[in-house]
Amino acid sequence: AQAGNVLVMECRVLSIQSHVVRGYVGNKSATFPLQVLGFEVDSINSVQFSNHTGYAHWKGQVLTAEELNVLYEGIKLNNVNHYDYVLTGYSRDTSFLEMVVDIVQELKKANSKLVYVCDPVMGDHGAMYVPENLLPVYRDKVVPVADILTPNQFEAELLTGRKINTEEDAIEVMDLLHQMGPETVVLTSSNLPSKHGDQFLVALGSQKIVRPDGTNSSQKIRMEIPKVDAVFVGTGDLFAAMLLAWTHHHPKDLKTACEKTVSVMHHVIKRTISYANEMAGPGKRPSPAQLELRMVQSKADIENPAIAVEAMVL
Amino acid sequence: MELKWMECRVLSIQSHVVRGYVGNKSATFPLQVLGFEVDSINSVQFSNHTGYAHWKGQVLTAEELNVLYEGIKLNNVNHYDYVLTGYSRDTSFLEMVVDIVQELKKANSKLVYVCDPVMGDHGAMYVPENLLPVYRDKVVPVADILTPNQFEAELLTGRKINTEEDAIEVMDLLHQMGPETVVLTSSNLPSKHGDQFLVALGSQKIGKIHSQKIRMEIPKVDAVFVGTGDLFAAMLLAWTHHHPKDLKTACEKTVSVMHHVIKRTISYANEMAGPGKRPSPAQLELRMVQSKADIENPAIAVEAMVL
Repeated sequence: AQAGNVLVMECRVLSIQSHVVRGYVGNKSATFPLQVLGFEVDSINSVQFSNHTGYAHWKGQVLTAEELNVLYEGIKLNNVNHYDYVLTGYSRDTSFLEMVVDIVQELKKANSKLVYVCDPVMGDHGAMYVPENLLPVYRDKVVPVADILTPNQFEAELLTGRKINTEEDAIEVMDLLHQMGPETVVLTSSNLPSKHGDQFLVALGSQKIVRPDGTNSSQKIRMEIPKVDAVFVGTGDLFAAMLLAWTHHHPKDLKTACEKTVSVMHHVIKRTISYANEMAGPGKRPSPAQLELRMVQSKADIENPAIAVEAMVL
Repeated sequence: MELKWMECRVLSIQSHVVRGYVGNKSATFPLQVLGFEVDSINSVQFSNHTGYAHWKGQVLTAEELNVLYEGIKLNNVNHYDYVLTGYSRDTSFLEMVVDIVQELKKANSKLVYVCDPVMGDHGAMYVPENLLPVYRDKVVPVADILTPNQFEAELLTGRKINTEEDAIEVMDLLHQMGPETVVLTSSNLPSKHGDQFLVALGSQKIGKIHSQKIRMEIPKVDAVFVGTGDLFAAMLLAWTHHHPKDLKTACEKTVSVMHHVIKRTISYANEMAGPGKRPSPAQLELRMVQSKADIENPAIAVEAMVL
């Protein structure tokens, strides 16, 4: 569609994630940044909680797989089940995940170019924080229909059954994940040693490409990302949403897409830490409430992220 | 050095639709774009608004609303600058909203409750009739900014509006019932610009006795939009926040945002429908994300006259 002589992007995302009344996780974390970048975001809230579960208290209601199906049926009955992207994240329910897979498969029939961005949230630092029976569902049903996957090291190890001790291991694991489904894989964090020292973590990415002569290959990238001394919630959801946005604008350039994505994270986190420390006062650790992402305050950085971290092509 | 950020938190209790822009979907993005923190309680989750051929989804009970609020309260984060509510079909839900507003006002005496008393239009109610006494006797008394249309204002006050003088009397009656700021978002009063315009009126109390009264002639649109009232209430919240003693400017900006969003929406809808065809509800969804620049900085398209 045209607005004057400026072409307006027509791109519709179906995001199926948690809703929290207060704060920024799940759909609350993903929706505003995508809307600010001009994406139409249809959102199915898999739960409605007062706030994320890192606070002292949380209360709310969950959506069942059947209720998810009912909502999708409404969309379908109106013949508006046409999406360019699906985006999912944290889930605790195998039947809900299986319903998501059914929906993705049907939407792909309606639009063969649909891109499913999947954050296979299962755990971190060597421990699962979802029920164990989600692993086979992710591995055997979800990942095979995913196009962009954003596991951390632990999740990538779980999905492939392989441990990552070196960069070569990581590259092998990303290639295994390609074989399982997704053309684009980003290892959002790892324990690999950074060349910049222990205040940095290593992230890696791999995107399948077709060479000029028609043969298949992949572009692999590596990033050294400054660690932060705080526990943030919702950053993974923001990451997946922004990776969706920037791979949309740079579909064959994972380096640039990741640089912009990680840079947005950097600016939002920096602003958030600053504010949280100011609110907590000197020498005090900020509370979960004070550590909520400064999302609306970061609008300009979301719209046009200054590159803060560069990626290296391997 | 960064500008000092506006710290303003809104609790918006409205519908959620998966697709489209009504209720919280209509209110949240524009408020966030203007820098407000928006906490949102979704009173329902539907696939889309009820003007489509089909709709499906789930509703929140008054008890479930209470549970969500309890979660916020247990964490000691039940501190808000604004509450915003709109369409509801459930008297017990509305009564729970009133309880929450009253408690939030105890926590912050400066809290402003922006209330759209959605009950009907064009002389007919489209919510259950038993909502009227709840709005009149419980909700409106705790509201600070009220955005009824003519029909809703007549229902709440029991008075018919035939002339501008009637409308002014009705707005003064509504002030006495509670809200310091009342905007009659639309009326059947004849416009001085002819029948392609509708008349909106506003009144804001200045001190105990006086009020500023304004009038706007707003171009009518030949289409049925859904969600525009929700956008209006949200933008009135935003612009009265920036212009708390200047209803004229607040209304000019609010109505101008509406104008730009609607104009862009009609354009797109007609393009999608094709020549000679009436656009569908799906095609008529507000072009909200595409209107970001107009939301951030609305060029004044309609001026208000101070009466």
